[in-house]
This record gives sequence, structure tokens and C-alpha cells, in this order.
Amino acid sequence: MELSSDAGKWLDAHYDPVAGLYTFSPCMDLADLNGDGENRLLVGDLGSGSLGMKLKVYRGTALSSESALLDLPTGLVSFFMDLHEPRVPAVAVASGPCVYIYKNLRPYFKFTLPGLDVNSLEQDVWQQAREGQIDPLSLKEMLESIRNKADVPLSVRSLSFLSLEPSEMDEFVQLHKQQPVKRQTVITCIQTLKKSTSDDDGVSCLVIGTESCHVYVLDPEAFIILSKMVLPSAPTMMNVTGQYDVEFRVTVACRNGSIYVLRRESEKPKYCIELSSHPVGLVRVGKNLVVGGNDESLHGFTQKGKKLWKISLPAPITTMATMDLPTRGFQAVLVGLANCEVHLYRDKNLLSTIRTPDAVTSICFGRYGREDGTLIMATKGGGLLVKILKRTAAFEDKDSTPGPPLTQSVRLNTHKKTKLYVDQMMRERESGTVMHRAFQMDLSRLRLATAKAYLKALESSLTPMSSSLSEPLKMNAVVQGLGPSFNCSFHHTGLSLVTKEEHWLL
Amino acid sequence: MGLFDKLAGWLGLKKEVNVLCLGLDNSGKTTIINRLKPSNAQAQDIVPTIGFSIEKFKTSSLSFTVFDMSGQGRYRNLWEHYYKEGQAIIFVIDSADKLRMVVAKEELDTLLNHPDIKHRRIPILFFANKMDVRDALSSVKVSQLLCLENIKDKPWHICATDALKGEGLQEGVDWLQDQMTQSNQNNQNMRS
Ligand SMILES: Nc1nc2c(ncn2[C@@H]2O[C@H](COP(=O)(O)OP(=O)(O)O)[C@@H](O)[C@H]2O)c(=O)[nH]1
Ligand SMILES: [Mg+2]
Repeated sequence: MELSSDAGKWLDAHYDPVAGLYTFSPCMDLADLNGDGENRLLVGDLGSGSLGMKLKVYRGTALSSESALLDLPTGLVSFFMDLHEPRVPAVAVASGPCVYIYKNLRPYFKFTLPGLDVNSLEQDVWQQAREGQIDPLSLKEMLESIRNKADVPLSVRSLSFLSLEPSEMDEFVQLHKQQPVKRQTVITCIQTLKKSTSDDDGVSCLVIGTESCHVYVLDPEAFIILSKMVLPSAPTMMNVTGQYDVEFRVTVACRNGSIYVLRRESEKPKYCIELSSHPVGLVRVGKNLVVGGNDESLHGFTQKGKKLWKISLPAPITTMATMDLPTRGFQAVLVGLANCEVHLYRDKNLLSTIRTPDAVTSICFGRYGREDGTLIMATKGGGLLVKILKRTAAFEDKDSTPGPPLTQSVRLNTHKKTKLYVDQMMRERESGTVMHRAFQMDLSRLRLATAKAYLKALESSLTPMSSSLSEPLKMNAVVQGLGPSFNCSFHHTGLSLVTKEEHWLL
Repeated sequence: MGLFDKLAGWLGLKKEVNVLCLGLDNSGKTTIINRLKPSNAQAQDIVPTIGFSIEKFKTSSLSFTVFDMSGQGRYRNLWEHYYKEGQAIIFVIDSADKLRMVVAKEELDTLLNHPDIKHRRIPILFFANKMDVRDALSSVKVSQLLCLENIKDKPWHICATDALKGEGLQEGVDWLQDQMTQSNQNNQNMRS
């Protein structure tokens, strides 16, 4: 049974169906927050509705601390921002246009994305409204014409104004007209990038993707923008490898359905992977990328975008994560599915299927507590599920994808080549030309003999030809074989009713 | 005088008794063994093998082998190699680590099913350690979670301990002492 096959690999460490944890994979991370060798689970909880957004910290099976978040979190990462002792990591939570940095779980710093350029026409129109030169209705008309024509999009303020009923417009203008028009973008994804060493506790930069189609790299200590890159579309998921000072690679899945690869010292993407469906998951395994599509498919690519494989899944993907077990040199991909299963794939091979009591929305694999191989999952219903990989678990690669049947590669039990056959083959190879000539010679002789016989028959009035048109006769001679004996068949077709066949052995 | 000095003297054994002290990393084995060590015992050698470490020490008649049952399987056969020589087992559990209770159980089951342990009536003493930690599990709860009631063919005993203060260790050692003398007498009866 399949269930027992996955139970043979994972230990059920903990399940709390009512943990009240509503999150997705980008908002979960594991870190040794106290520097005591025991990793904690950090969660940016989305809450339910617009309430209860929290930064939660779990220790073992229990919630050890929580603090309120001001806005919906879009990503959470832990990272070392300096070399100060004791070496404990900071936590960065991205929400709205800001990154909130926590140290020792206390608010430490807030980084806000730079504002975007405002459309100057829009600014003028609001200026006129402020001075009372135009009424709300003409403001609406003017803003609408700007929206339709301008390269620089309208600010959030103008857009919300345009969505109002005429009765609400005046109040809105009175409320907002004194403030300057601002255009602010929001963060869509956040990751870390090691600054100059690849050590596990090396200082890391933050890498953030924004709705305005930018990727920023931030200095870990001063939080100034070190690098700014542009994408053709808004990024939704990101994977970062390398070191900022040496060489790095930011792989970004964008809302236009493509994946772009940004490199150090290139402001624009270096490679592009166009997908047949929208990417819903992006993870890196070694040097390859594994991308989940919204058409229930999983794709493998090289980091330069060459397609390696594609498989179909039994249900839509809910989330994806890497399973990295450096102590065993093991890397694979965990794929959460809507049918309450989590599949483990190494390349295109399914290694393990984990059944879960509820669909999983968030997966995180790594060291938790003191256990290296811990799989943490949050479920759709707000549950928390923890499994630990057995120390004795071994995964075998079985090619599970449909392909040519196994029997195709089984050798047929054909007769051995006889000595005669081999000799013949050798002879043909060595004296092919001679044989061909001999054959042509014999053929010419045969033709000559036939022509002579024909002539003789004509001369002695033996009428070898069919004399009447109503009884047509056709003769066809075919020589088969390569010698020394030939098979010569003559087909006499008479009246197209009776066919007589004669075989001559020459 | 260490706790085991009495045991050793009382047994009056010529042969040395080999005790295996096992458990997950961080369960408190080193702390416990240091408590049990007789004053004259010296840490014999700490073998820093790659991936796992074994502590050994010896008194006049007892020898202890201590190791962490951690790591992802790779060095397993290295420590299993010591099972054969063990005549008693002390299995230490961190009663405050609820998350890894399943891992401790898995390791215990693997130990009990090992060919060098399975068919021997060798006494097992469980220390449900760190009972001082605020929401640590009770020794009853620990024995439930580890399914100790299923151990039918070996004498076993569990006690809650606080290795930092040394509480609860004596009870366990007394039990182990009883078991060893019993089996020693049985052996002598069989011989005579
Ligand atoms: N609170 C508490 N801490 C303990 C107890 N026993 C050991 N420790 C602590 O647990 C940690 C691990 O102990 P150690 O003996 O090194 O564990 P080992 O890895 O099994 O050898 C150390 O920090 C000990 O001080 C106990 O009974 N109570
Ligand atoms: Mg130790």
C-alpha cells in the first residue's frame, strides 16, 4: 500500500489541526533565533480577513511568541545582518511597500521602497483641484483622459477617486487635496543573498521584487539600495543564489508567465524561459530549476533555461519547496497538491507520497529544534503538521513516468547467425562489385536468350503473342536472391481472370 | 563516592560490567554519566570519530560506553558495533523535547530489534530526564509515548530525573543494581 510506503520514511512528530496558522511558503522560515542550537519556526501569519496578521514563533510543538503585524505579510526571511556577537539572525518581514526588520524579535528598523515618479499632468490637475479651479466632476474627466493616454500610471489616490460614486467625490477631494500626490509600489517577494561568503552564517543582503517590475538588492547593515534591476513584468516568485560581491543569479517568475534570470552586472534579464502555463512554484535543485505550472504540471530546466523534462500531476499545485539534506547530500522537491497529498520528486521521479489530513498551503523543510530532516506544513484549515524524516529512510529512484513498455528493451531470442550466413556476408562484402557485374552479365544473357527464342518463335510462326485483343496476356519475370542459386518467378496474366504462376529455379 | 561505587563493590565481580548509555543528542547523557562517575574514574578516551563521538570510562569493575544516537544513519553501524558487549542499557530521554519523542521511540525500537539485543534478557533503565523543565512530560507520559509496556522480554524501569541536580538517579541505579545481582546469581546457580 502506498500509505505504508511513505509512513516508512516519515515519523509523525506533531499535528495540531486548530493551530490557527494561515500562511504560505514564502512566509515561513527556520532559524536559530537564540543561538542555542535549537531552530525555531518563524511564520508570517496572514490571519483571516483583514484581522490577526502576526509574526509567530514556534519552539518545538508550542507557540513561543507572537506579535502583531501592521499589514499583510508577503514574505519572511531570517538573515545575518552583521557580525556582532552573539551571532543571532535578524528577521525581515515584507508587507506593503516596507520591510520590517526585527532583532531579538523586537522591531529594529523599517525600510520603505523609494516612491515612483508621479505623472506631472496628474499633479497639475490635483493642484487645480486644491485651488478650487475645477469641480470634482471635471477632475474625474481629466484624470480619466490622463489614465487612458499617459505612460506613467495614475497614483493609488486618483485610481480610488475614479472608482467613487459622484456623491462621494467631493468629500474625498476635501480629505486628500492638501497632501502631495505620491505613487508607491508594493513588495511582491523577498529573498536573501549572501554578501561575500557562502558560509551558513555569512552576512546576507535582502533581495526584493516589487509590483513596479523592479528587483532591488539592499545592503544588510545600512539598508541602502546596492543594485536595482528591471524586469518586463511584475515578479511573483524568486530564487537567489551566489554572493553579491562575487557572482549571483536571481531567477524570477513573473506575472506574464515567463521566468527571467538576472545576473550580477546586468541591469536587464540575461535569460528568459517562456512557459506554456502560469508558474505557481519555483525552486532550485542543485543547478537546475523546477517550475510548477498551473496546468497540473511540473517542469525541469537548466539554469540557462534549457528544458529537461515535464511531468503531469494528479491535482493542481498548492505550494512547492526544496528538500535539502546536506548531511546526506540529498536534494529533492516537495510539491503540495490540492488532493491532500505532498509529493516528493527527484528530477521527474516520484520518491514518496505523503497523505495529509487537509490540503497543504505552505511547506518548509530543514532543521527544526535539533532535528535536521524536519518537514513543516501549514494546512488550508489553519493546521500545523510536523513530520521528521527517519534516520534510516532511503529513497530509491524509480522512473514513474509513462514511456515505452519494459518489454521493448527485452532482446528477442533470435537464431544465431550460421557460419554459412557469415561466410556469405563476408563474400558479399569483399566481392560485391564482381557479383553485381556477374549478375548484370547473366541478366543480359537471359535477355538475349529470351530475345533469340522470341525471334525464333516469330520466325517459325509460333505466335508467342496473344493474337486477339480480347485475350491479353502479360508476362512478368522477377529474379530473386543473390546467388549462387536464384529464384526466378514468371507471372503470366491472362485475361486478367486467370493468373498462372511459375517458379523456375536457376 | 560516586553512585556506582557501591554497585561495583557490592557485586564483587571479577569481570567488568559493560553499561551502554544511549539516547538522542542533548538528552543529558554526559551530564548523567558525570554524576554517576566514581571519584576515581577518569575519562578513558573520548573518541572523536567523524560524525559521532563515543565517550568511554572505566572504574575498577564497570565500564561505560556513551554515545549519541543522532545523525542521519550514516554512522549507525559504527555505534551498533558496541551492542554486543553491552550487559545493561541506560536510555536517556529529554522529557521536555516533545517534538523528538517520536525520534526517541524510533531509535529505541531499532535498538530493541537489533540482532545483538533482541534475544538477550538485558536490563534497560530509562531516565526521563529534565523533569525540572516547566512543561516537561511526566515519566508515565514518556513511557506511554515510547510504548514501554510492549517490552515483554527484558526487565525495564523508568524514572524521572533532573541530572543537573542529580535527582532521581539513585532510584534508577538501585534498580539496575538489583537486576545485575539477580542475573549474576542466576548465572552462578546455573554453573553450580
Ligand atoms: N534543565 C535541565 N537541563 C539538563 C538536564 N540534564 C542535562 N541538561 C542540559 O542539557 C544539555 C545537554 O546535556 P548533555 O549531557 O550534554 O547531553 P548529551 O548530548 O546527551 O550528552 C546541557 O545543556 C545540560 O546542561 C536536566 O535534568 N535538566
Ligand atoms: Mg554528550
